[in-house]
Amino acid sequence: MSTLTALEIGAYALASLLYLGFLVGLRDKPGRIVLSLAVLLHLFDIGARCVHGTNPISSTPEAMSFIAFLLAAGYVLGSLRYGLASAGAFAAPAALVLLLLARVVPAESGAPTMGTLGYTHILLATVGVAVFFIAAVLAVVYLFQDRQLRRKQYARVTSRGTPLDTLDRLAARCVSVGFPIFTVAIVTGAMWIARLGVLHGTAALRPEYLLAFVTWVAFAVLLIARLGGGWRGRRAAWLTLGGFGGTVLVLIVYFLRHAA
Amino acid sequence: MAGKAAPTLDVVVLGVSHRTAPVALREKLAIPPEQMDATLLELKTLPGVREIALLNTCNRVELYAVTSDADTALRAMSVDLARRAGMLEAEIEPYLYTRLEREGIKHLFRVAASLDSLVVGEPQILGQVKTAFDMAARLGTAGRVLNGFLQGASRAARLVRSKTEIARNPVSVSSVAVEVAHNYFGDFNGKRVLVVGAGKMSDLAARALRARGATLTVTNRTRARAEELAARFEADVHDWEDLAGALAKSDIVIASTGAQRPVLTHEIMTRVQRARRGRVIFLIDIAMPRDVEPSVRALRDVYVADLDDLQELAADHLKGRQSEATKGEEIVEAEVARFLQTWNGQQLGPVVTAMRTHVIGLAHTEAEKLLAGLAQLPEKDRNTIAASFDAFAKKVLHLPQMALKKDAGEALSLVDAVRKLFDLQSADPLPADEAQLDDPARVTTTPGTGEHS
Repeated sequence: MSTLTALEIGAYALASLLYLGFLVGLRDKPGRIVLSLAVLLHLFDIGARCVHGTNPISSTPEAMSFIAFLLAAGYVLGSLRYGLASAGAFAAPAALVLLLLARVVPAESGAPTMGTLGYTHILLATVGVAVFFIAAVLAVVYLFQDRQLRRKQYARVTSRGTPLDTLDRLAARCVSVGFPIFTVAIVTGAMWIARLGVLHGTAALRPEYLLAFVTWVAFAVLLIARLGGGWRGRRAAWLTLGGFGGTVLVLIVYFLRHAA
Repeated sequence: MAGKAAPTLDVVVLGVSHRTAPVALREKLAIPPEQMDATLLELKTLPGVREIALLNTCNRVELYAVTSDADTALRAMSVDLARRAGMLEAEIEPYLYTRLEREGIKHLFRVAASLDSLVVGEPQILGQVKTAFDMAARLGTAGRVLNGFLQGASRAARLVRSKTEIARNPVSVSSVAVEVAHNYFGDFNGKRVLVVGAGKMSDLAARALRARGATLTVTNRTRARAEELAARFEADVHDWEDLAGALAKSDIVIASTGAQRPVLTHEIMTRVQRARRGRVIFLIDIAMPRDVEPSVRALRDVYVADLDDLQELAADHLKGRQSEATKGEEIVEAEVARFLQTWNGQQLGPVVTAMRTHVIGLAHTEAEKLLAGLAQLPEKDRNTIAASFDAFAKKVLHLPQMALKKDAGEALSLVDAVRKLFDLQSADPLPADEAQLDDPARVTTTPGTGEHS
């Protein structure tokens, strides 16, 4: 593990602690500063790896690290404009865990030949997952605060919460940005598989393809329900989490298959 | 001139507050607003009183006075307070407290900084103190000294407010409600607030929300009352019969009807929720008995805060304020010391001038007396003698002057000592005492007995 990687993992860990501390009464500024630092270090790390010929989507671990980066960077950018401090307590640890996993797991042995189609698919899928990840973090905060309000724990987090309305709107925006990206990723993925199948004669229908499609449908339903049916608030938050859960499952299945 | 130049710090505070007296007694002692002017002018005429101000709030009735004779003034003031309340002095005496000198000043600083308030950190008291002292200044019952105290107290109050978090979290039910709404529902700009019922409690909350950019709508069983309220808040009026319609369009609801049964029932709120299609709605129920049916809490995207919730939060905040108050006390203590230092410094100038004029004057008089009997001496010797008297007087003055300048902060007793020593108030000399101060300079004479030295 390079020094840079160690530093960035340390920074994410510290930021996570500081943000968790925010939930129990600390100020949020230290967390924001440390997390911004972690994001910068991470950016350098990714840049350095590119220079050495390892691009961010060349393997599952690299892609995971890239997702962690996008998640943290997206959160930092978002928190410049909105008071998202409580979401930091979820975003920073999530980025940390992803990054740790990426650095611990080995790169898959038999990576398929990529080609333009393959690269496009993986890049878009990676970005799409990162955007959905942010939406999921916002949804978790939403549900968390919803619970606090229902349990009448106003005192616990007065002046620490993010307005429910803001969380709901931002999550919706993430989903509506992520959805087209994810759609194109699925289409290019299907085309890529079809082409590989033609080349190698192995165009079998695997369960994760179906799962990916189901996830896509879940997000489609969410978008339609939001726009047409006025689904907002708690239900939308649960559906976002459901869709994101599906995405994660697809990734896990994909990874296990290639690692095997 | 010497007698009036430097007012002493004979400050006395006499009064009752929520800490010492039950409301029944405070009510009796309170001076009705229309009698304030006359009362103050009468208080000023009490024996021993030089300046006086009267602070009269729902939690305290206090007299702040500068006296020439503290005991006489205190006695006259308490008798007068009792008489106005139609009581005997002995009846109110157990509830009265007095604070003298430094403690009196500190008391004023603490009161102004809201450290002595029932709700610690409440913002109104400073304004009330200012009004009380301004009124006294306007009527001429307060002068330079009390005015100086007010400046010091205002400064201390501002510092306590800005340097501690004593006033950060609201402690009244209505402002707590506004705060909770703000934290979970965001900016009030463009938010629609519905005021259901025209209860008194909703007043403050509605005003605060209005001030922060919300649009208000009022609905009430009797339309006239709703219109009256709406006019006050610049709000719209919505028909009571269409309560559900009004609710469907609102983001925050303040309910405070006098109804005996819940007005915002599960049935109505279910309909409203359907119409709102997932947009969250916050119901602030400050009515007693409650306006929101308890089962409404179970509905999705509907949030409820009732009086119990808000009072609990308010109590929490109050606890926080009390711990901040410790920091406030430290600030007040430092400010009192600072104030006394500056104040005594200001008193120093006139005292020193008077002292010099007095002593050098005496030396000149004595020199002239002596020289009148020595007319045969040559001009040169006569000048030497006159210069020697002058130099002697200046040397006598040197030490006390230095001491005063050095220890202006502790000078309270010194200034008084010097004033008494040189008798700057009246003219009668106190020869015996003077020798003491002169001692370091090894002067064995006093101006009064200088002839035979």
